[in-house]
Amino acid sequence: MTAKTASPSGGLLELESAEHRYVERPLGVLTRPQGGRGWRDWLSTVDHKKIGIMYGVSAMVFFVVGGVEALLIRLQLAVPNGGVLSADVYNQVFTMHGVTMVFLFIMPLAAAFANYLIPLQIGARDVAFPRLNALSFWIWLSGAVFLNSSWIVGGGGADCGWFCYSPNSGLIFSPSHGVDFYAIGLLIAGIASLVSAINLIVTCLNMRAPGMDLFRMPVLTWMLLITQFLLLFALPVITVALFLLMFDRLFDANFFNPDMGADPLLWQHLFWIFGHPEVYIIILPAFGVVSEVIPTFSRKPIFGYSFMVFSGIAIGFMGWGVWAHHMFVSGIGPISVAAFSLSTMFIAVPTGVKILNWLATMWGGQIRFTTAMLFAVGTVAMFTIGGLSGVTHALAPADTQQTDTYYIVAHFHYVIFGGGVLGLMGGLYFWWPKIFGYMLNEWRGKWNFWLMLIGFNLTFGPMHVLGLQGMSRRIDTYSAGFGFEFWNFVATIGSFIIALSVLVFFHNIWKSKREAADLPPPGPDPWDARSLEWMVPSPVPVHNFDEIPIVDGTDEWWHRKYAIDDDGKVVQIASVKSAAQDGSAKGVHLPSPSFWPLVLAVGLPLIGYGLIFNLWLCVAGGLLVGMAMYAWALEPVDDPDADHGHQHESNGSNGDDPSNGGNGTVIDVPPSDDRELVAAGVGNGEGNSS
Amino acid sequence: MSKVRALPRLVRKVFAAPIALLPIALPIGLVIASCAPDAELDTFAEQGETARQINDLAVPVFIVAGVVLVLVCGAILWLAVRNRVPSNDDYEGEFPKQVSHNTTLEIGWTLGPLAIMVVIAIATLITHLAINSTEANAIEVQVEGQSQQWEPRVVVVGQQWWWEYRYYLTQDITTADLGDPWNLPPADIVTSGQMVIPAGEEIELIVTSRDVIHSHWIPALNGKRDAVPGLYTPWKLSADEPGVYFGQCTEFCGLSHSRMRMQAVAVSPADFQVWINKQMAPAVLPTNENSQAYRGVEVFSTYCASCHLVRGLNEADYNGAEVVSGSAPDLTHFASRTTFAGGIFNLYNRDGSLNDDQLAAWIRNPNDVKENYANDVGEGELPRGMPNMGLSERQISDVIAFLATLGEKPTASQILATEVD
Repeated sequence: MTAKTASPSGGLLELESAEHRYVERPLGVLTRPQGGRGWRDWLSTVDHKKIGIMYGVSAMVFFVVGGVEALLIRLQLAVPNGGVLSADVYNQVFTMHGVTMVFLFIMPLAAAFANYLIPLQIGARDVAFPRLNALSFWIWLSGAVFLNSSWIVGGGGADCGWFCYSPNSGLIFSPSHGVDFYAIGLLIAGIASLVSAINLIVTCLNMRAPGMDLFRMPVLTWMLLITQFLLLFALPVITVALFLLMFDRLFDANFFNPDMGADPLLWQHLFWIFGHPEVYIIILPAFGVVSEVIPTFSRKPIFGYSFMVFSGIAIGFMGWGVWAHHMFVSGIGPISVAAFSLSTMFIAVPTGVKILNWLATMWGGQIRFTTAMLFAVGTVAMFTIGGLSGVTHALAPADTQQTDTYYIVAHFHYVIFGGGVLGLMGGLYFWWPKIFGYMLNEWRGKWNFWLMLIGFNLTFGPMHVLGLQGMSRRIDTYSAGFGFEFWNFVATIGSFIIALSVLVFFHNIWKSKREAADLPPPGPDPWDARSLEWMVPSPVPVHNFDEIPIVDGTDEWWHRKYAIDDDGKVVQIASVKSAAQDGSAKGVHLPSPSFWPLVLAVGLPLIGYGLIFNLWLCVAGGLLVGMAMYAWALEPVDDPDADHGHQHESNGSNGDDPSNGGNGTVIDVPPSDDRELVAAGVGNGEGNSS
Repeated sequence: MSKVRALPRLVRKVFAAPIALLPIALPIGLVIASCAPDAELDTFAEQGETARQINDLAVPVFIVAGVVLVLVCGAILWLAVRNRVPSNDDYEGEFPKQVSHNTTLEIGWTLGPLAIMVVIAIATLITHLAINSTEANAIEVQVEGQSQQWEPRVVVVGQQWWWEYRYYLTQDITTADLGDPWNLPPADIVTSGQMVIPAGEEIELIVTSRDVIHSHWIPALNGKRDAVPGLYTPWKLSADEPGVYFGQCTEFCGLSHSRMRMQAVAVSPADFQVWINKQMAPAVLPTNENSQAYRGVEVFSTYCASCHLVRGLNEADYNGAEVVSGSAPDLTHFASRTTFAGGIFNLYNRDGSLNDDQLAAWIRNPNDVKENYANDVGEGELPRGMPNMGLSERQISDVIAFLATLGEKPTASQILATEVD
C-alpha cells in the first residue's frame, strides 16, 4: 500500500482530482485494490492465470463431490436389491452426479485450461476483458455453490436426471425444490460460460501476438476457440429452456404441462439442441490437449495441422445437426429419425480423421511415454471405443434397443471420461510444471494413470454388456436373475479403483510439492515442447512475456530452438536457456484487480434464493447486482495510484522511463479509451519489441 | 551382451501394451457375457421379426466397429513398441523425420471412413423404413359368438408405475378416435402388466402416457418406444413363437422407475381366442353371503372402488381413479394374471397357490414394497401410486379372497413361465 503515498502521475487524474476521489471509490465502499498477497489477491484478481487456477481448483473440488455421488451409485448397484440408498435419494444422487460432473467439473476444468493457456499460446498478456474474466469465474462458482446448496436448504438435490425431461421435472412430479435449484443454478452458471465464451473469442481474434495468424495458433487454442463458439450459440438455447422450466415451476406458466396442451417434447428439443453441442464442448478441449501432448512426446509436429483444425471446425458445425439422435424413440416421425441418424453417422468422419492424424503423428516418432503421454494415448484409445459405440447407436434401429440402457451410460462415459477426463488429466501432468513451477512425480503419475485406466475400463466396460443384456439406465435397483449381478459388481470394484487413482493424483500433487525443494526447478521447457507458453519461466510471471514474441509459423517456440537443415535434418540452433525469456521485465503494465466482479456474482444466487423462497430476497440480490454494475462502470480502468505490474515501485509513467528497464523492452499502455482490450498489453507489443 | 540387455527393454515395451490390450479384452468379455443363460432382457436373444431385423443390421456393424477398434489399438500398440524411447531420455541424437502432413493420405482417410459410413447408412435406412412400416394382417376372432376380422392393435398406456393394455375388438379404433389419454373410450379388454398377443402375428401398438414419459420395451420382440403424455406414437411387435417376453420401462419416470415392468405373453391363435372369450366377460361376483369373498366385495366397494374398476360391480359409478394419472389397474380379471403391482410380484406361488403374503403386504402399505408418492400428499393434491388405505388385517384377507375370485386362475405352466424374480 506504499504506492498510495506516491503522487499519481498522468494528466487525466491531475486534471480531475475532485472527480477522481469519487471515481476511486465509486460507492465509497471498495477502492480499486492493488493486488498484494493472500486471499484478498485471489478474491480481486483479474489475472487470467490465477483465474485459471481457481477454475481448476474448484473443478477438482466438484470432481470429488461428483465422485462421491458416483461411488454411492455404484455401492447401491453393487448387488441386486441394494439397500444403500432409498429410491428418492438415489434419484437425487444420480441426477446431481451428472449435473456436477458435466457443469461443475469438466466444463470448468476445460475453462481452467482455456483461461490459463489461450493468452500464453497466442502470445498475449491477458484475456481481452480481464474483469469480465473474473466475473465469469465468480458467477460460475456462485452458480455451482447455489446448485449444491439445494442439498441443505432445498429439500434435496434435483431428482429428474441431468436432462430433466418434462413433465417429470414439473411441480407435480418433483415437488421438492431440487429442480428449482437445478434450473436457477444452471441459469447462473450459464451466464458465466456465456461471458467467458465472448471474452475468449475476442481474445483469440484480437489479442494474438504479431505474426500469430489464426492458422498458426496451436491446435489446443483452436479447439478451445471452437468450444467457445459452441458455448456462445448453445447456451442461449438451454437458457431459454431453463427459463421456461423455472417459470413453469415457480409461476405456473404451463410451458411443458401436457394437461394444458403443451408438448413435452419441446423440452427435449431445446435441451438437446444445447446438449449435443455440449458433448463437443466437453470433448474438444481434451482433443486439443492431446494434440499438444502427442507431438511433443513424439518429437514430431502434429500431423496434418490444417486437417486437425478443419476437422474440429467440422465437428463444431455438424454438432448442431445431430441433436435429435437423443430422441430416436421419443415419437418424432420416421423421416426426422432417418435424417438425424444419417447426420450422426457422418460426424464420425471428422472424428476418425483426428484419431488417424494422432496415430500418424506418433508414426515414425520417438515416443516418450511420460505420464502426460500415457494419458494422451489412453485418451485416443478410450475415445475410439466411445466413438465406435456411438456409431452403433447412430443406427436408429439399433438405437431403439440401446437407448436408455447402460450401453448408453457406457458410451458417454467412454466419451466424456475416456476422452474428456483422461485428456485433461494428461493436460494437468503436462502443464503442471508450467503452472506451479514443479514437476509431478512420474512414478506416482504412472500409478495414477494405470489405476485410472484399469478402474475406468472395469467400471464402464461392463456397462456395455449390461446395457445389451437389457439393464435400463437410472434404475435405483435391479432384481437377481436378469444376469446383471456379475458385471455390476465388477463395475463397482472398478469405480473404487478410479477413486484410488484420484487419491494417488492428489497425493502426487502434495508429495511432489514437498520433494520439489530438493530437485532442480523444471525450467521454462521441461518437455522440449513446441508452443509459446514454454518460452516463459515456470511458473509463469504475472506479465507472461517479457516482450511479446513475433511469430513466424506454427510451433513457434520449437522453431526458435531447432531448424531443419538442407538435408532435412533437425539441428539445434539455440538452447532453451538462451531462447527463453527470463521473466525479469519490470513495470509491465497490467490491468488492475477489482472486487466488483465478486460482488456482482454474489448477488445472483441471492436472486435465485429469492425466486424460490421469498421474492424480497430478489430485491436485495438485485440491488447488489445493480450496485456492483454501477461501481464497476465507474471504477477507473486502472487504479490511479497503483504502479504497474504489481512491482510496487513508484512509477506510473508511460514506459519511456529508462529506470523501468529489465531485460528487454517494457511494454506499457497508458490509460486509454480502449480500456481493457488494450490494457492487457498486446496493442503496443509490436512497436516496442526488439 | 547387447541381446541380454535388450531383453528387459523388450519386456518393458511389451508392458506398455496393456493400453491396447484392455480395449481388445472388452469385446471378448462382451461375447462371453452375451452367453449369460439367464438374461431375460437380452437384446441379442431376438424372438420376433423386428428385433431380428434390428440385429441383422446391428451385428455386422458391431463386427466392423470391433475390427476398427482392433486396428486402431493395434496401431497404438505397434507404435508403442516400435517407436518407444525412455521417457526420461535427454535427447541428444538425431530427430525423427519431421513429417508435417500428407494431403493424399489425409484425404484418403477422410474418404475411407466416409465410404464405410455410406454403406452403413444405406443399410440403416432400409432397416429403418422396414421397422417403421406396419403391415398388420387382420385375423379372425370370435367376439360374443360372432366371427369378425380384427387388425391386431393394442393401446399401450404408461403411468406411474405400471402399464395398461387396452384391446378394442368390437370397433376399429385408430389414433384419431382415441381423444386424449385421460379419457380413452371404453375398451373391450383392459389388462395391466401383461400384454397377451397371438404368436406369429404383427401387433400394432399405439403408445401413450397419462403422466410423465415412460418407455415401452420388450427387448426380445422389438426396440423401445417412448410413451409421451398427450402423444400417440405408433409402434409394433411380433413374437415368432408362443412364450413369455420380459420388458422394463426404460425412460426415467420417477421413484419406482426400476419397478415398472411388463411381459408380452404370446399364445397360439386358439389360446388367444380362449383368452378373449374369458376377458370379455364381466366379473362373476361371489354370492355366498357367508363367504370371505362376499365380505371382500364390501371392503372393495368401500376402499378400492373409487380407483379400481371391476366390470360387473362398479362400472356404473366408476369415473376414473383419484390419482394423478387418473387411472388404476382394471381388476375385472385380476386373478387371471400372474403378476401384480407393475409386473414386479408373482400373484401365485410356484405350487400354484395364491401368493397372499405378498399381496397382503402390498395392500397393507404399498409404499413399503414399492416406493411411491401416495401416503403423504398435501391438501388438494392427488396421490401417485396406491395409497395406504389403512385396512385392518381382516379386511385385507377379505379383499384378497374377493380378488382371488376375479377371473380364471392360470395354469401351472403359465405361472412358471411368467414367474418374476
